[in-house]
Amino acid sequence: MSIMSYNGGDVIAMMGKNCVAIACDRRFGIQAQTVSTDFDKIFEMGPKLFVGLPGLATDTQTVAQRLKFRLNLYTLRENRAMKPKTFMSVVSNLLYEKRFGPYFIEPVVAGLDPKTNEPFICSLDLIGCPMVTDDFVVSGTASEQMYGMCESLWQPDLGPDDLFETISQALMNAVDRDAVSGWGAKGYVIEADKVTIKTLKARMD
Amino acid sequence: MAVEFDGGVVVGADSRTTTGSYIANRVTDKLTKVADYIYCCRSGSAADTQAVSDIVSYHLDFLQSETQEPPLVRTAAHLFKGMCYQYRDQLSAGIICAGWDKKDGGQVYSIPIGGMCVQQPFAIGGSGSTYIYGYVDSVFKTGMTQEECMKFVTNSLALAMMRDGSSGGVIRLAIITQKGVERKVIVGSDIPRFYEG
Repeated sequence: MSIMSYNGGDVIAMMGKNCVAIACDRRFGIQAQTVSTDFDKIFEMGPKLFVGLPGLATDTQTVAQRLKFRLNLYTLRENRAMKPKTFMSVVSNLLYEKRFGPYFIEPVVAGLDPKTNEPFICSLDLIGCPMVTDDFVVSGTASEQMYGMCESLWQPDLGPDDLFETISQALMNAVDRDAVSGWGAKGYVIEADKVTIKTLKARMD
Repeated sequence: MAVEFDGGVVVGADSRTTTGSYIANRVTDKLTKVADYIYCCRSGSAADTQAVSDIVSYHLDFLQSETQEPPLVRTAAHLFKGMCYQYRDQLSAGIICAGWDKKDGGQVYSIPIGGMCVQQPFAIGGSGSTYIYGYVDSVFKTGMTQEECMKFVTNSLALAMMRDGSSGGVIRLAIITQKGVERKVIVGSDIPRFYEG
C-alpha cells in the first residue's frame, strides 16, 4: 500500500497564450472505495493564483490551510498580492521544513503575475523541489497517463477556449485509465480579466 | 453477478482489469463460455480464472463427445469446485457458474475463494459486490421475468461500478435460455446513474 495512492487524485496545469489553466479530478476515496465525488484539490490563493494539492487527502486540507495562513500574513505585511513565483518558494519552504516527515502532497501552482499578467506554472515534489516549465505540469496517481496525454495534445500559444478543451481531454482520458482517480473533474481557466470555472461531465466509475 | 429466472439465467459483469491502480484493460470480457449453454463470471486473479475455465471447458467438451448430450450446469459447477478446492492454497479465483440445461432449467452456482459450491437464486461476486449486498437483498424477488432480471443486474452492477475503484467500464450481459445465448453491452450514458453526491 503506497501512501501517495491511498486516496488517489490528480491535478494538471497548462500554459496558454496570456492565460493558464489548472484542472483536477473530484474523487475522495479510501483505497478502492469511493467515499465522495465533490472533493476538489484546487484552492484559490489569490485572485489570479491557484494551487493544486493531489496526494494524501488529510494533507491536502492541512497544506491548503497552512499556505493560506502564510499568504495572508504576507499580504498584510507587504500590502500587495503575492507573485506566483514567490508563492512557489513559500510552498517549497513549507514542504522542506518537513523534510524528514513530509506532507504527502506533490503540489502544482498556476497563476498570472498580479502586475504584468505573465502566465506561470510549476510543480513541486513532496519535499519541496520546484520545477518551472513553460508547457505543462502534472501530479497525482495517474501522472504517467497524464504525461502521455499532455505530450500528445499540448501545443504552445493556445487561447483560453482551446486551452480549456486541451486540459480537459488530457485530464479526463488520463484518469479514465486510473482506478483511484476520476469521478468528476473541474477546470479553471485564468486570464488577465477573469477566471472561468467549469465542472466537467466525466465518467463516474 | 448472475440471476436465475424461469427459462434461463442472466449473467452480467463489469469490464475493468487492473494491475495495481493502472487500468490494464477497460473493455475486458469477464463472461466466459465453458459450454454452449453454460457461462462463468470470473473474479480474482485473471490468470487463475482463465486457466481454470479453459480446463473446465475442455472437460465439458470431452464429456459432450462421450455422452452425446449438452453438459448439465451442475456438472460444470462441480468441475469448477473440484479445481478451486484442490488447488485452494495456490489459486485466487472467485467464480459464478450459470447456464441452462434441459433437466433443471436455469441455474446459478457460486464458487467463492476456498472452493465451496452452492446453488443460489442469484449470486454476486468480485470486489465491487461488497457495496451492493444491501441493494440486491432489498430488491430481489423470486419469479422475475427476463427483462426484470436484466434491469436488476444492470442497476446492481452500475451501483457497484460507481463505488468500487476496481470496477468500471461497460456492463456486459449474457442471457442464456433454451434458444441460445444473447450477448449485450451497455455503454456510456446508457449505464444507469444514481445519486452522485
